[in-house]
Amino acid sequence: MSDEMRATDLTCDDVREMAGSFVLGALDPAEDAAVRAHLATCDDAHAEIADAGSVLPVLLESVPVVEPSAALKGRIMAAAAADLEARSTPPAAAPAAAAAAPSLAPASTVTEPIPFPTETDRADRSAAQAAPTRTTSPVAWVLRIAAVVGIVALVGWNLLLQNQLNGAEQYQRDVAAVLQLAAKDGSMTAVLRPAETSEAAGLAAMNPDGTLTLAVHDLDPTKGNEVYEAWLIGEDKVPVAIGGFEVGRDGTGFLATSGVTPAAGIQVVLTLEPAPGATAPAGPVVSSGAASAVA
Amino acid sequence: MTDESGSLQRRVASPVDDADRAVLERIVAGDVHALEALYDRYRTMAYSIAYRITNDATLAEDVVQDAFLGAWRNAGRYVEGRGSVKTWLLSIVHHRAIDAIRRRKPTTELPEREDVPPAELRLPDIWAEVSANLDADAVRGAMAVLSDVQRQAIELAYFGGLTQQEIAFRMDTPLGTVKSRMRLGLLAMRRALTDDDAGDLEPVAPDGSVPDGGAP
Repeated sequence: MSDEMRATDLTCDDVREMAGSFVLGALDPAEDAAVRAHLATCDDAHAEIADAGSVLPVLLESVPVVEPSAALKGRIMAAAAADLEARSTPPAAAPAAAAAAPSLAPASTVTEPIPFPTETDRADRSAAQAAPTRTTSPVAWVLRIAAVVGIVALVGWNLLLQNQLNGAEQYQRDVAAVLQLAAKDGSMTAVLRPAETSEAAGLAAMNPDGTLTLAVHDLDPTKGNEVYEAWLIGEDKVPVAIGGFEVGRDGTGFLATSGVTPAAGIQVVLTLEPAPGATAPAGPVVSSGAASAVA
Repeated sequence: MTDESGSLQRRVASPVDDADRAVLERIVAGDVHALEALYDRYRTMAYSIAYRITNDATLAEDVVQDAFLGAWRNAGRYVEGRGSVKTWLLSIVHHRAIDAIRRRKPTTELPEREDVPPAELRLPDIWAEVSANLDADAVRGAMAVLSDVQRQAIELAYFGGLTQQEIAFRMDTPLGTVKSRMRLGLLAMRRALTDDDAGDLEPVAPDGSVPDGGAP
């Protein structure tokens, strides 16, 4: 009510003066509501608001570039996959599903709040993230995991050890994520070897829980709509798309997905597709390998 | 609000927009691979924005996760014509990051925000961008037209989450001047991006073209 009272107090000049504050989100809630109420009833189009707002994307483009950790993608994909599963859960079973995954709302309630991770979640995770990196260099950490898994020789470690390419660091982080999954009980790995016309090689890991990660280096950068698409080919010989990614100048690619069904001997194949969303491989195979159990 | 105000020139759908819209349609249909494609394309920008605002790697990743899940669940609410998919997505990231740092503040600093439910999903306002797919030079050119105090006020608001009153206090400047700095700064950026032809931007000369203070 008081907001409406205040709205009638705002003149067009007041609103014009606040155009910048309004689009930048610098008004307190009462002021913000007053501006919105004015705009809803005013005959003036107040183009200065749309004009000021039109450059916000430029501000967003101006921030310094930083890369997230490779593990973030896995968390997001896992949460989305769990969300998808919750959508197909009948309403009667919903409470159980909600209890199992408290951070995920069923899709039928799209307007429901998106829960924000709790402070405890964050503290736990930052402790977990900080532990390996604070005391150990990423290279040492990757090598340590690799030694445990016992597959050091299978991957292009010369790249890692030279440590001179831009992509090497990214690839290290990606491989670290793959090795983490490979180290889990029941996981299988596939070494991806280059196809004839390519030098792309890498490593994939998959677990019976359906998660799969894959890291590849020496890929040609994607152009336009191009994407690298990964496929699983089982006994039935039918390629199943499991996800795609673009590749920048560093030549490294990473994929983390869930919902796959691993099996010994299953082929992991990477193709270069002209556009995202292919349901059958159309482009050339750049790298492939067969999955086997981690010894 | 301002529908088809005619001031939104040069908004040309690019092939990237088309591809993004196709990806969004697949997300609406519940295709997790499409979410993955969206993530792969925008993870760097999304994280960079979240990190610029939160200055905290763990919190920034939470924000990005939150925003992509928000996009995953609300892709059907994207309105074509209000902005590109990219701007829509990055605005959600921005919005969630500002929410996150405002919640991190001691509540005594911001008494009137306590009644905002912490996890409420409010999709951000999107204004059609001045020009789709700007290159780095154009961005630098547009930022270069801002005076120091204009940039400071705009960044304290947009990346610091401060209200205009808080900015006035922080900059030890009258409120009216702060409002002018933000408004005139943004409009000067727009002029820089629309007066010149795209791709050939030169900073607007400081004399008179970037006035500071002095509300109308």
